[in-house]
Order: sequence, then structure tokens, then C-alpha cells
Amino acid sequence: MSAHPMLLLTILSESVLEDILIDEIMALGAKGYTISEARGRGTHGVRTGKWTAGGNIRIEVLGDNALCSKIVQRLQAEYERDYGLLMFTCPVELQN
Amino acid sequence: MNFEPVVLFFVLGVVAGLLRSDLKIPGSIYEALSIFILLAIGLKGGVELAKHPVGDLVLPGLIIVLVGAIIPLVAFPVLRYIGRMSRADSASIAAHYGSVSVVTFSVGITLLGQEMLEFEGYLIVFLVLLEIPALMIGVILARHGQGKVRWGKLMHEVFFGKSIYLLAGGLVIGFVAGAEGIKPLDKLFFDLFKGVLALFLLEMGLVASTRIAALREYGVFLAGFAMLMPIFSASLGIITGWMLGFSVGGTFLLGTLFASASYIAAPAAMRIAVPEANPALSIGASLGMTFPFNIFLGIPIYLWMAKTIHAS
Repeated sequence: MSAHPMLLLTILSESVLEDILIDEIMALGAKGYTISEARGRGTHGVRTGKWTAGGNIRIEVLGDNALCSKIVQRLQAEYERDYGLLMFTCPVELQN
Repeated sequence: MNFEPVVLFFVLGVVAGLLRSDLKIPGSIYEALSIFILLAIGLKGGVELAKHPVGDLVLPGLIIVLVGAIIPLVAFPVLRYIGRMSRADSASIAAHYGSVSVVTFSVGITLLGQEMLEFEGYLIVFLVLLEIPALMIGVILARHGQGKVRWGKLMHEVFFGKSIYLLAGGLVIGFVAGAEGIKPLDKLFFDLFKGVLALFLLEMGLVASTRIAALREYGVFLAGFAMLMPIFSASLGIITGWMLGFSVGGTFLLGTLFASASYIAAPAAMRIAVPEANPALSIGASLGMTFPFNIFLGIPIYLWMAKTIHAS
């Protein structure tokens, strides 16, 4: 079994941006992504997820360093000012 | 005063939210309830529309949409110059008030049912038609020729967002099927309507309670705006309905439609199109203040106004 070192990029943002962010991520060369619904509190206030447009999403993307930093730079430039947006990476080892 | 008991479910939800009860309507049930309400209202409108020659409705329709467009154009300068709010916030709130609320309209319809008053059922078409110019005017006011607008994404959100899509879809199905064709569905969509509306209002109360708690931040100006603007808009609608020769019920409903402010379609569209506007302000005003104001005080007042103008 060979494990490949990669980065897991996690993006937390507003549900309303789901389609837009996915288009950006795929256009930058990601092979895939995983989305889950999320709730929480941040500098943009409490996001209870109780209202259609009031929830958050968590997007997870696996990729190499170059891909992850491309995505981070792009989203930061376009969306950070006006939307709730939190991004972080952690090293992972792909097992299959 | 005329009173529609179904609004008490809203109070039940607000109280549960404020007292931190563990009452929750699961998200998927909320989704199902909203799909039901949108389709039921759409079908009802379509059935009524099929009874009229559509050609006769073009001129009144055009007048209603044009008068409706006055609402955001009045709201914007009030917010911008009297309220001293930012251009983006003023435009976004103006769009919310120009746009309409299906649930407020539904409460109006149930009150008419209780009062045994008839209304022009095709008015439901304006739930769809009034949304579009209001949102476009909001975006144009916010941009003022500057900055890029994601028009494609915005239009997609407006036309294919679930509220407009289901309302319009219901209208088409009701129109094609007619009263006879829809009959087998009557029990589900029309007989159960009020019960489902009650459950939906319970959920709206829970959501609104989270907004009401934050009201203090919005200031006196926005609170005043959220209660005076609907009265102005309702007057505009009631005068228009009366001049177009609508019945008392139809005049009242047009007033209610104009008075209502959106909190489902408009927030999503404005978040995309005018991202720098603070959504807490517009949703707080429309859902936290204008919606409860309309269902408790506004609607009885608008009915009284419609009856008075017809009696004169």
C-alpha cells in the first residue's frame, strides 16, 4: 500500500455561494470536492442554518500544494471582503 | 378588528425561540412545507387565471407592475438620505420591500376566506411578476453604473430559485389543468392549506425570534421604516386596485401584496448581486419587523382601508 502525501483544503463559507465556489474550484483544476452543510458562529455573526439562505457550507478539496494555494488566492481575492470565508489546509495521506 | 387565528402559531414560535425551548422544525420538513405552500398558491392562481381571457389582464397587469416599481424607488432615497444608510444597504433593503412575501399574502387570503369575501384569484400572478423588477431596481440602485454585477447568476437565482420556480410552475399546471383537472388534488393542496400555513408560521416564528433579539442594533430609524413603509405601499396598492375596479377582497390583497417584504427570494438574490450590503439589516427589517407587523396589525388595517375606499 502506498500513501500519497497531499493537502486537504477545507473552505467554510455561506450556502448562497455554493454553486459559485464549486465553479471556481473546478475551473482551477480540482478533480473533485465534498460538500457538507454547517452551522456556527464567526466574525460574520451566528449562522444558525435555520433559514434557507442563512446556513454555511463546508467544502473539502484534496490536492497538491500548488492547487490549494491557487484556490486560496482566488477565493481570497474575490470573496473574502464581502462574504464569510474561512480556509485552512492540513496535510493528509491519501490511502487509495 | 378582524383577526385571523392562524397568526397565533407565529406567536407560539416566537415565544418558543425567545424562551429557548428545544422546539425545532427539522430543515427537511421546513423545505417540504415551503414547497407545499408555493405550489398550492401557484395552482390556485393558475386555476383562477384559466377562468379569465388572459388578454384582458395585460393592461391591469402592466399598471400593477409599474406602480409596484415605485416602492423600491421611494424606499431607496428614504433609507439613503433620511436614514443615512450606505448605498448598498439602502438598495438591498429597497429591493426586499419592493419584492413580495408569499406567506403574508397567504394570511391575507385566509382572512378573506373567514370574512367570506371574494377576490380576483389571478392576483397570485403578481407574486411572481412583482419580484423581478424590484430585485433588478435594487441591483441597479446599488451599482449606480459602477462595479460588476453577476447578472447571469442573479437572473438564474431569480427565475430558478425555488420560490419563483414553484410559484410559476404551479400557475402553469393550474392554468393548463383548470378547475376540473385540479379537482383530484383539491384535498391535498386546498383543503389542507390552512393547516400547513399554521405549521409554517410556527417555524417562521422560531426564525423571527432570532432576529427580534437583535433588533436593538438596528436602531429606531429602521424600526420606524419597517412599519411605516408597508402602510405607504399598501395605500399605493389599495388605490391602484380600487382604480382598476377590483372587488373589496382584490383591493385588499393588492394592498397586502404591495405592503409585504420578501425574506426568502430577495435575501438570496441580494447576497449574490450586492454582496457588500449587510444581510442582517434587510432580513432583520423584513422578517423581524415588517412580517409580524403585517400579519398582526397591517392586514386588518388594509382590509379596513379597502372596505372604506369602496364604501366612499
